[in-house]
Amino acid sequence: MSMHTLLRYEWGVMTPEFIIIGTALILSLVDLLMPDDKDRRPLAWIAFVGVAIAFVATIGLIPAETTSILHDTFRLDAFGKAFKLLLLAGGALSLLLAFDYRPKEGLKHRGEFSYLMLCALLGAMIVTSSGDLITLFVGLELLSISSYILVGLRKTSVQANEAALKYVINGGISTAMTLFGMSYIFGLTGTTNIKEIAVEAQKLTDGEYQYILALAFLLLFVGLAFKISTVPFHMWTPDVYQGAPTPVTAFLSVVSKTAGFAIVLRLLITIFAAAPARGKDTSSMLLSMQDYIAFLAGATMIVGNIVALKQRSMKRLLAYSSIAHAGYVLVGFAAMSWVMIDSIWFYLLAYLLMNFGAFAILQRMSDEADSDDISRFAGLYQRSPLLAVAMGVFLLSLAGIPGTAGFIAKWNIFLGALMTEPGHYVLAAVMIATTVISYVYYFGIFVQIFFRPAAETSSLRLPIGLTLIVVVCALGTLLFGVVPGLAYHFLGQFEHFGDFLQ
Amino acid sequence: MSSVPLSAYLVLALILFCIGLYGALTKRNIVVVLICIELMLNAVNINLVAFAKYGAHPGVAGQIFALFTIAVAAAEAAVGLAVLMALYRNRKTVHIDEIDSMKH
Amino acid sequence: MLNVYVNNYVIVFVFLCIGVLLPVGALAMGRFLRPHVPDEAKQTTYESGNNPFHDSRVPFQVHYYMFALLFVIFDVETVFLYPWAVAYDKLGLFAFIEMFIFVLMLVLGLVYAWKKKVLRWM
Repeated sequence: MSMHTLLRYEWGVMTPEFIIIGTALILSLVDLLMPDDKDRRPLAWIAFVGVAIAFVATIGLIPAETTSILHDTFRLDAFGKAFKLLLLAGGALSLLLAFDYRPKEGLKHRGEFSYLMLCALLGAMIVTSSGDLITLFVGLELLSISSYILVGLRKTSVQANEAALKYVINGGISTAMTLFGMSYIFGLTGTTNIKEIAVEAQKLTDGEYQYILALAFLLLFVGLAFKISTVPFHMWTPDVYQGAPTPVTAFLSVVSKTAGFAIVLRLLITIFAAAPARGKDTSSMLLSMQDYIAFLAGATMIVGNIVALKQRSMKRLLAYSSIAHAGYVLVGFAAMSWVMIDSIWFYLLAYLLMNFGAFAILQRMSDEADSDDISRFAGLYQRSPLLAVAMGVFLLSLAGIPGTAGFIAKWNIFLGALMTEPGHYVLAAVMIATTVISYVYYFGIFVQIFFRPAAETSSLRLPIGLTLIVVVCALGTLLFGVVPGLAYHFLGQFEHFGDFLQ
Repeated sequence: MSSVPLSAYLVLALILFCIGLYGALTKRNIVVVLICIELMLNAVNINLVAFAKYGAHPGVAGQIFALFTIAVAAAEAAVGLAVLMALYRNRKTVHIDEIDSMKH
Repeated sequence: MLNVYVNNYVIVFVFLCIGVLLPVGALAMGRFLRPHVPDEAKQTTYESGNNPFHDSRVPFQVHYYMFALLFVIFDVETVFLYPWAVAYDKLGLFAFIEMFIFVLMLVLGLVYAWKKKVLRWM
């Protein structure tokens, strides 16, 4: 390849990625050269500014045509743009959380905190817009490995060590499964380019090959279930969420999960949607697998919501709630209606807003006493009425009460499940039943906040970063709950992500 | 003697993968668990290289994929061992069933 | 295909069976024939006549693991350098610049390890 072809590429479409990687490199050098006794919290601000610039750059790229560079390994399409906005917003919010993260025992590696988060964010962004299995895998691993380290960054804490170890082991197994599936896909099609794989997969009419392709599908799906923390790979979630520093927990529950859903959607839809399932039968492999996905979605909702009922630790409770939410999103995927990607995107947006808000308040409450027991929230209303109301909004949204973004998101997924022909009535029923169950534990927190007497009476002051998050998230949750049309208008310009395969 | 057919490689990879998965899910010692994960990843490499050489559509992409798998597997193993070292310093154990401070 | 291939290995399999059965049989015979009278002194670890005084498993210096980890990471990166070096003439300037960036990143990692005092022995 000559210099000429190299310069002819439209490198501009990678601007957000370049900004993130540049910021990460600069931060790592600054962190190394800074004297040891200097406060490293400003580094999180620099990282935040970098992510904000990348966010603006991504918005600037929205009108750009669908482009692919580097032999179609990196493609910027509507899907990539929309999900990258979510990821960057999530990354920026977790950096703000990291800025105001003050654990009792102190945090020795604050510098690493910021730039590892940037690396993880970069991996997630690469994942959303890769057109090749190898790029996708490398992006996925950049995200995973950075998050392993982030989880275990509090080196002296036994819980953090355990959480990191469980995360590494589970992550390693799931990576191996995903890769094993990918290796069969490569073997059947002879290429790693996702688009070419889709073309080749359509030619597989031999039953034996289709059997292997179905096996590859299951391996891929089970492996990716780790990233989105759904059954069968959900067991790491509560332990890791509890042991990790709160900003990392928020990062994992939003950014990592969004990236996971982005891979699931892009990979599985592109490759398997057009592959024939039985002989020369035209029905697609993806549709023939629908029942398995629906089963896993149902199991995820049930497990997440039932086990959440008996949790006392807020982080574990939010972990099980996050498993349950992954189940709701998976319902959207299993239904495979034509609004699937739109409604999943909106759900992830709503989840980002309500979850970050809840985690910001949780961080403030648990840093104070190094405990995240649910009773920490007792009497929050007396100590700070505004904060209590904000937390109330996030909880209502997580529970899916009308007037909040969480309700609209859930409603759209629900409608999507009934819209298809035949409708997924069982799945929709399970969704409603588990939502009702979830009211029990969300309102348990409610009772603590509003009706229990406070253990301490000192008023609460929120640091600037956390205030920003709480205000933005609360306003966003209410705004998208009352006028969801705003987000759908924004999505309208992507035309239901039709450029997926072009 | 005839040359080794593709299916032999695939069977080998499948067996290796299953041994790795079994070990990763049942072994007590974390170092052994990490080794088992490496076994699974190496099964993937065998698959990729065998497909790249003898598959229905041979191509160099599989070998390149294997190279990336090797590099990433090394990074993952290094992080796993580093985390294990940190844990050992605090807990003085490498046994997976003693790591249960967050059981609920 | 697989059948033909497997049939070639029947002889190997037979030899494998003999190889496993022979020592197992011999040892089992010995076990049945020999007297079994254990006592305290017989059961201690054999240390060339010395009395064993502590556990045979000595923990390694933790620095050894640090070096090993660094070695694993930097060692594996050669899988990218090697194909590039072999096809250097065909790849030209573009690959050279790419590899330069790659090595620069590795150097950054090394500097990090150096700054964190991992490279110092003891």
